[in-house]
Amino acid sequence: MKNDGERPPHVSDGADPLGTNSQIGLKLKQYYAELVSEEVPDRFADLLRQLEQTPAASKKG
Amino acid sequence: MAVSQGFKTDLLAAIPSLRAFAMSLAQNSDKADDLVQETLVKAWDKHESFQPGTNLKAWLFTILRNEFYSQMRKRGREVQDSDGAMTGRLAVHPAQQGQLDLEDFRTALEKLPEDQREAIILIGASGFSYEEAAEICQCAVGTIKSRVSRARSRLQEILQISGESEYGPDSIASQVMGSNAA
Repeated sequence: MKNDGERPPHVSDGADPLGTNSQIGLKLKQYYAELVSEEVPDRFADLLRQLEQTPAASKKG
Repeated sequence: MAVSQGFKTDLLAAIPSLRAFAMSLAQNSDKADDLVQETLVKAWDKHESFQPGTNLKAWLFTILRNEFYSQMRKRGREVQDSDGAMTGRLAVHPAQQGQLDLEDFRTALEKLPEDQREAIILIGASGFSYEEAAEICQCAVGTIKSRVSRARSRLQEILQISGESEYGPDSIASQVMGSNAA
């Protein structure tokens, strides 16, 4: 299970051009972490619930 | 065949990442959420083609990405100005003492062509390996590498970051400027 906290994932490879020593790399992770931490609208849970209730047979064809 | 409860739980858990990736691609939250919705429906319909034990997130990202490009084609593609004109108008200022504003960064990211943007996001932010990213983008590993590298140079250029040694003495600069050359 992935931890979607705000902490950027640790990059162990020091030679990684987008690693923690790279300003671009850091900003990229910050940008993304902000997006990931946004609240998820209810519509998606509702959608999955709906899909679950749809009989699988109707999707044949 | 019924979709397992575990699959549903995993889909739910993947939504934040899917939204982040969709936002990175679409640059618009309505479009991004539509993409995520479409991805979930497709994933649900195709759940039998997912092999348990393999990377669900990569599988979902692939679906989302395909959906994004197919919608773009349908729409006749909203042209992104990634070749200079916009870059010229973009308010840039030199990164000050290692500080780089997130808003500036976001603006710069938007200027990248999609293929470069998705590559740098997958590798630098979503945590995929080059191999996984290549699979998601259906291209060669070398292609991903070169897109990431071009994206990175492009961002540095737009943001006026020179090199990658903001956090310490620049060894090249000190070599150039150093007076103690023996």
